Amino acid sequence: MTQPALEGLRILDMTQIAAGPYATLLLGFMGAEIIKVESCSRMDINRGLARPTPETYRMYPQGIPGERPWNRSAHHIHRNVNKRSVTLDLASPQGKELFLQLTAICDALIENYRASVLDRLGLGYAQLSAANPQLVYVKISSQGASGPETDYGSLGSTLEQTAGLASITGYEDGRPLMTNETYPDPVVGIVAVGALMAALRRRRQTGKGAFIDLSQREVAVALLGEAVVDYSLSGRVAAPIADRHLLMAPHGVYPCQGDDLWVAIAVGSDAEWRGLCHAIGQPELADDVRFATLPGRWQNQRALDDILSAWTRGRDHYEAMHILQRHGVPAGPVITPAEVIAEPHLEARGFWDTVDHPEAGPYRQVSTPWKLSKSPRRATSPAPGLGEHNGYVLGELLGLSAQEIATLEAKGIIGTRPVGMDEP
Amino acid sequence: MPESGLTLGDVCVLDLSQDIAGPFCSKLLAGLGAEVIKVERPGSGDVSRRAGAGLGVAPHPEQSALFLYLNTSKKSVTLDIDSQTGATILRKLAQECDLLVESFPPGYLDRLGLGYAALEQLNPGLIYTSVTFFGQTGPYRHLKGSELIAQAMGGLMQTIGLPDREPLKIGGNAACYTTGMSAFSATMIALYARDVQGYGQQVDVSAMETMTVAQIHSSIHHQFGRTPSRRESPLVEAKDGWVSPGLERGVRQDTWPRVCDMIGRPDLKDNPAFSTPEARREHQQDLLAILSGWTATQSKEEIYHLLQELRSVAGYVATVEDLFTSRQLVARQFFQAIDHPSAGKALYPGAPFRIQGDAWRHGRAPLLGEHNWEIYGGRLGLSTAELARLRGAGTI
Repeated sequence: MTQPALEGLRILDMTQIAAGPYATLLLGFMGAEIIKVESCSRMDINRGLARPTPETYRMYPQGIPGERPWNRSAHHIHRNVNKRSVTLDLASPQGKELFLQLTAICDALIENYRASVLDRLGLGYAQLSAANPQLVYVKISSQGASGPETDYGSLGSTLEQTAGLASITGYEDGRPLMTNETYPDPVVGIVAVGALMAALRRRRQTGKGAFIDLSQREVAVALLGEAVVDYSLSGRVAAPIADRHLLMAPHGVYPCQGDDLWVAIAVGSDAEWRGLCHAIGQPELADDVRFATLPGRWQNQRALDDILSAWTRGRDHYEAMHILQRHGVPAGPVITPAEVIAEPHLEARGFWDTVDHPEAGPYRQVSTPWKLSKSPRRATSPAPGLGEHNGYVLGELLGLSAQEIATLEAKGIIGTRPVGMDEP
Repeated sequence: MPESGLTLGDVCVLDLSQDIAGPFCSKLLAGLGAEVIKVERPGSGDVSRRAGAGLGVAPHPEQSALFLYLNTSKKSVTLDIDSQTGATILRKLAQECDLLVESFPPGYLDRLGLGYAALEQLNPGLIYTSVTFFGQTGPYRHLKGSELIAQAMGGLMQTIGLPDREPLKIGGNAACYTTGMSAFSATMIALYARDVQGYGQQVDVSAMETMTVAQIHSSIHHQFGRTPSRRESPLVEAKDGWVSPGLERGVRQDTWPRVCDMIGRPDLKDNPAFSTPEARREHQQDLLAILSGWTATQSKEEIYHLLQELRSVAGYVATVEDLFTSRQLVARQFFQAIDHPSAGKALYPGAPFRIQGDAWRHGRAPLLGEHNWEIYGGRLGLSTAELARLRGAGTI
């Protein structure tokens, strides 16, 4: 069996920035048809500015915006793979009408605008479910679809703060830090996939569509659930502990040969400790009473850090992992952005796709965090140019004639270039 | 199925997983209404029962916050699956179930005759979800992992923390929780395929790959010529904690002049160092220094609301304590009070998403082996004498 799991599922993608696009990217890998709706006056922010200013050049491959920068910005290239692009001016009555027709032939819609944006356009869940009672509407928003902060905006870094994650991330001085890499966004994208699957299952049971209210902040709070429950039970407020662990020691990252290269080591059991002593060529350490028990190792972890660092400094971070793992010690290199795209284990598992994007060139694309034995993922299809699939979506799916499509283009309801590009 | 029913009300899950990622997956399945039968080792149970909040704080096995949170709405049976009798009982249970979740080292269950190949013969519709650090294939599949190692090897950690310090782990168990979400979504995709196309399959979920998906940002920038590195977080101190003004991306044009008026610095409105989002990003530290005089006099939540009202993407660093008083989380009734016979009443994070018209189950975590009689006697029809014999042999 080689049929993709989600073949035949058609999803209207009204997402932008990160969390939403990650959800549809993953659904596309599993075989769903993703139709990304933008307009020439309001593109996905990932496409960058229509006319980039020099401060934003770093968003483009090799810092070069190129002829059509909106089709080759880094964020657009990797977040919008596996999607088809259609442009529709949703402020115009005809654009709205076409959007409703499109809604009627889709199984689901996913969006992550500020909470009230589509309602204001008259395209909220009430209107769309009237057009298609079987539609599953996934609303991803910063704070959820209700409550006093429902219209608040956020980035992944905002959520790390408001959900509490930053309050437990940091060095020993206790000052909070963020990932600066918008960690909650992909997390939300991943879990939104399961939420949609649940609602589609419910639709099979009841024959009716559904509205899914997904608050990114609430998803991020789930990442520190035990700290929440622990506070509720004991009053303890969790705080940053750098790379240490509340129970294990030694536990942290240790410097290796080379510039800014590190190996992570996490030792819990006595057996792992004895393995470590042998791995670093100091079997006598296993008999040192200071380190004989886990509480002892935890109390004396600074001394252990010094012993370990002295050993790791002389080694490559991958070599350190292999030596330690051969002795049963949990260890792994802190992998750099350069190494991750060439990682041999990920390579062997077929995790990366090499994509040759027509406007951005070749690059390696992240795929899925799962493998299904009988429902393989599809190979990546490159992120679409703006309006690249207008003909397919309006012609093949909605049955418009070539002449009707040309008229829409002349009226500026559809297009392939951002508004204002072709004026002096 | 009734209107207000549970989406997975007809689904039975056999949960052999322990610690965090696998149990978080099955917790979400249980929330949607699945019957989750958690199989634990007789005597000690899931390792998370022994996870304390700090060294010397060895929790009672029924009172570990980690276990209580991760195992809501599940049933617990004890079973020594390493024994032949135990393995036979497990095979019987697997025939009764739709999904199986496990987190053993690859190959371990195969050697007990409980791998996917063996169970598929007995139950072709079974979805068998394996949740591990490195996955079921590839050169690292037998390596030992941990939360820290998953964060390190996913490529994310190298870019987190301060430039003059070592790479920093995200606090808590973020990688394992996220891996649980991967496992949940992957299992739901497989269930969709079974509902529509009619077959079961094995689902292979890896924490390393989950974290590599989460670093998606860094590797693309690296490939396009700008390698991300560790850098200071854009946080500034308020009267009672930390805030980020959120003025660099996703803000309206009139946000900045209004902020200038609010902080009493109208002279900054047209200062080219700050007048565009890109310029503010470029001069982030200067901007924070200017704002610090104003932020130091206000509470972090006040600043958050004031700046959000001006359409910024401001944030405030909430501690776990602050979460319980967040007016938004309170208004949405996100936290759920759950009582437990040993640990008592506590507030738990609720459903991570809500399907309109659908309920989410907020049942308590089970006591070790609490459902032995119900499952072995009721479900499998074992007699009281047989159960006593199994107990005597240490099988349950």
